[in-house]
Amino acid sequence: MVAIIGTGIIPFGRHLERSIVAMSMDATIAALEDAQIPKETIGACYFANALGDMLFGDSAIGQNLTAAMGMKKIPVVNVENACTSGSTAYYLARNAILAGECEVALVVGSEKMCVPDFGLINSGATELDTLLGMVTPAGFALRAQRHMHDYGTTPEQMAMVAAKSRAHASLNPIAQFRDKETIEQILEGPMIADPFTRSQCCPIADGAAALILASDEFAAKYDRAISIKTAVLTSGFYENPTDLVHWETDYYAANLAYEKAGIGADEIDLVECHDAFTLSEILHYEALGLCEEGQGGQFVAAGHASLGGATPVNVSGGLLSRGHPIAATGVAQIVELVTQLRHEAGDRQVEGCQTALAHCMGGDKMGDTKSCTITVLLK
Amino acid sequence: MNELNDMPLVYDDILTSGPEVHFQGSHCPSCEAYQFPSQDICPACLGETEKADMGKRATIHSVTTIRTKAPLGLPSPYSVAYVDMEDVPFRMFALMDPKEAGNYYIGQKVELSVGPLGVNNDNQACLRPYFSPRASSRT
Repeated sequence: MVAIIGTGIIPFGRHLERSIVAMSMDATIAALEDAQIPKETIGACYFANALGDMLFGDSAIGQNLTAAMGMKKIPVVNVENACTSGSTAYYLARNAILAGECEVALVVGSEKMCVPDFGLINSGATELDTLLGMVTPAGFALRAQRHMHDYGTTPEQMAMVAAKSRAHASLNPIAQFRDKETIEQILEGPMIADPFTRSQCCPIADGAAALILASDEFAAKYDRAISIKTAVLTSGFYENPTDLVHWETDYYAANLAYEKAGIGADEIDLVECHDAFTLSEILHYEALGLCEEGQGGQFVAAGHASLGGATPVNVSGGLLSRGHPIAATGVAQIVELVTQLRHEAGDRQVEGCQTALAHCMGGDKMGDTKSCTITVLLK
Repeated sequence: MNELNDMPLVYDDILTSGPEVHFQGSHCPSCEAYQFPSQDICPACLGETEKADMGKRATIHSVTTIRTKAPLGLPSPYSVAYVDMEDVPFRMFALMDPKEAGNYYIGQKVELSVGPLGVNNDNQACLRPYFSPRASSRT
C-alpha cells in the first residue's frame, strides 16, 4: 500500500500577481515541511495543470517547479485530465510507488485562471456540441431539469447544497467564499442556466495544493500517515441515449472503488465530491450510495450531508465555496480528507472519522464525463 | 438563398443533401449503432459505417436556457436541449430556436431548421442547425 505523509495548500481565490509556479512552490514547501523531509527525498513529481497552455502558452510546467525547487533529475510528469488533472496526478504517483519506481513522490496541482473575459468553460472548441452552444453549466442544468422532472427535486433542495457549502466554507480558512448564504439569497441570485443561479455554479479561482506520497515502508515511522486503500480512474461510457439522471459512469466508478477497497457506502465517514454545480452533488450522493437513486434532494434537505449529519459531504466547502482552480481541486480534496482523518480540522472536524472518500470528475463528452477518479483513505 | 449558400455551415457533413433539412449521421450495418456527428469507424465494433439520414423530427428529453453572456455570438438568452430523434434511436444535443428561448418544455415536439445564427471559431457569420416547436405542437 501507499500512504500520504505530507500536505500543503494555499488559500484559493484571486491571485492576480502570482504565477502557476509560484503558487505551486508555496504548496510544495508547505507539504515538505508537513512531511518533515528534505526535498532530496522526493523521487518523482506529478504536476497537474489544465489551462496553462491555453491561457498563457505555458507547457511542461512541472519542470519549472522542480527546477525552481532545485529538485534535480527526477522524473516529472505533467498531467492534464480536465478537472481530474490533480487526482489523476495522484493516481499516477501512487501507481509509481506501487510499481517500485520510487519510494516518495510529490503530487502538485496548480491553476491560474482568473483572467479577464474568461467566460464559461466548455469541453473543446471544435466539438460540435460546443459549436451548438454547449457550455458546462448547461450540461449539468440539463441533468437538473430531468432530475426535477423524474424525481420532483426542487430548486430549494438544490439551493440547500450551496447553503451547506457556504456554511462549511465559513469554517475553512483557505476557502474562497466564506460568507454564509441563505436558500432565499441563493435562489435570488442571477440565473446562469435554468435552474442554476450563480451561487449554484462553482467559481473560477487561482490556487495550488500538494501531497507527498510514500511507500508503506517509508511511511511506517510517521504517526500522522494516512493510508490509501484504493485509487481508481475511469472514463465515460459514451453510449446513446445518455441517461441524464442515472449517471452510469458515476455508479460504475463508485462500485469499482468500493469493490477494490473492500468496503460499502455505509462505511464511509465523510466525502469530498465534485460539486461543480449543486445538482452534481445530489447526483453523486446517489451514485456513491449515500442515499437511494432520486432521493439526493431529500438527503441534503434533511441535513444528512452537513457537518454533524450522517455522511458529511464537502465539509471543506467543495468546488462551490472552497473554489475550483481546476488542476488544484483533485489534490485539495485529498488534502482536506487527510486533515480530517488526522483530526486536525479544527472547527470543521468530522468527529471520529476513520474512512473517507474523494470523488472527482472532469470534462464533458457526448452527455457523459471524460474522466472520473475516486480514492478511499483510511486512518 | 444565395447568401445562405455562401455562408459556411458551423460544422461539416451534418446535414443531408435533400430538399428538407435533415441531420446526417452514420450507421453501422454490423451492429445497428448510430453516430452523430458521423464517424467512419463504428466505435462499438470497429466496422465501417454508412451515411444515415437521422430525420428532422424530435421530442425534447431535457431543456435549459443559458442566461449569461452567450458564446460564439449566439443571442442571449438561448436554449439548448437533449432531443430524441423520431426516425432513428438517437438522443442528441441540440440548439433550440432562440426566438422561443425559455419557452421549451420536456416532451415538446420539435423540428429541425438551419439558418444564420452566431459565428464560427474563425469569427465568421455561419449557419447553425436548430430545433423549433413543430407547428402542430402549438394547437
